[in-house]
Amino acid sequence: MLGDLESSAVDLARRQVAYELLSGASGLVLALFMWGHMILVGSILTGSRGFDWLAGMLEDYYIAQPTVIVIFALFLVHGALASRKIPAQLAERKRMIALQKGLARAGHNRPATASDISPAQPHVESLLWIWQVRTGMVILVLGSFHVILLGFDVLTPLFGERIGIEALTSTERVRGGLWLPYALLLICVEFHAGVGLYRLGVKWGSGRFLSRRVLLNIERVLLWFFLVLGFIVLLVLAGILPPPLAFLLSGVAG
Amino acid sequence: MKTQESATPRRLSFEIFRYNPEDPESVPHMQTYELDEAPYMSLYLALNQIRETQDPSLQFDFACRSAICGSCGMMVNGRPALGCRTLTSDLPDVVRLHPLPVFKLIGDLSVDTGTWFREMVEKSEAWIHTEQPFDPEATEARMDDDLAQAIYEGERCIECGCCVASCGVANVNKDFFGPAGLNRIARFMMDPRDARNDSDWFEVVANADGVFGCIGMMACHDVCPKELPLLEVYAYLRRKSLAAAFAKR
Repeated sequence: MLGDLESSAVDLARRQVAYELLSGASGLVLALFMWGHMILVGSILTGSRGFDWLAGMLEDYYIAQPTVIVIFALFLVHGALASRKIPAQLAERKRMIALQKGLARAGHNRPATASDISPAQPHVESLLWIWQVRTGMVILVLGSFHVILLGFDVLTPLFGERIGIEALTSTERVRGGLWLPYALLLICVEFHAGVGLYRLGVKWGSGRFLSRRVLLNIERVLLWFFLVLGFIVLLVLAGILPPPLAFLLSGVAG
Repeated sequence: MKTQESATPRRLSFEIFRYNPEDPESVPHMQTYELDEAPYMSLYLALNQIRETQDPSLQFDFACRSAICGSCGMMVNGRPALGCRTLTSDLPDVVRLHPLPVFKLIGDLSVDTGTWFREMVEKSEAWIHTEQPFDPEATEARMDDDLAQAIYEGERCIECGCCVASCGVANVNKDFFGPAGLNRIARFMMDPRDARNDSDWFEVVANADGVFGCIGMMACHDVCPKELPLLEVYAYLRRKSLAAAFAKR
């Protein structure tokens, strides 16, 4: 009887490790995928032909189809496992927010006379965690919409001229009003992924190699790079900006 | 330190949380006291001056005045800190003081950290477990210097409760071991004199009340007055849990 109890405690602990690993690993894969995805979508900067050629190639070699399914599955797994740490009660979440505000305000109020042992060093990670939860909620809704829509694009002839992702369909969608949810999704995804990778690194011991300050600066550089790239892509898709890299394909026959 | 050299001292305003749970008439409220700043004035000095000259009923804890006893932890403008180690010159003109959350309130700024820490230690059995008979004459077993240093790092915790007060999880989950608890567990996990092995520790640490309850807000690490490497401690516990999960039964 006691043996059963002991083994169940170990099983429970093993399950917790599995949850933690799956939550972190799915987040890692999704974050890296999002950066890769942004580079691929960036092909629109060369014009519709470049975009359609790349999309067609990924579909002809059956890379896009399984990717959509796997990414959506990982997305759901990550949502379910990462959200297990969000306090369920509103009062608990309010308590965390009040605590964070106090910690942040103490850092902001730091006077110029502060000594080396000042108790008022700036602290941002509590705020980053709270915003990671908020952006996660937005991504759950808008990301699901986007992935399901793209799933229809890649797997069915429902939208556009053929089965697959097409520049024309994408531009029409963005011009038709989807620029707003996509802009919001872009900000949320880049923030969520960048901060998530930073936290994942610190959690598993990256501090032995890189200080938090360095890691946070790397995260900020990547965040701004992908945000700027993402907004240029959106502007091109919306028809406001002509494709800035179109000259790369100007000599290539269509 | 401009303020300490200027001829006219800064007028500080202390807004202090007042409540005596023992007194049925007492209602939680903020009370303001004013004081002229003195050179190198700590909160310890300021609060004692207020109690001596303005309000003898003000409750707060101090003992060592040198960040060793861990009894003067309090929320200073929303951030946990030791009163004895906090200079008023590092604070704005208005200083809001609250008792540390999570712990049982004794009165005003005084909290009972002892009960919380005792429960945590009893739950994790954070003391040396050994079957070896005690021989006071025996020479102490040799230990690797790096390991001894690592154990000493964990042992530097003064149990002031600042990390616990700053921890979002400890504020909402009373069963969470908290930063100080996890630090103490790691200290005994590392100790070769403790007979418990990794798999014994596994079920204590690898759960939502242990290291996997941590959400990575990192405030504990930033507020620790002893500057303990708490984030490294959690990374150590995570890696140990991972190794134990994949170890053969």
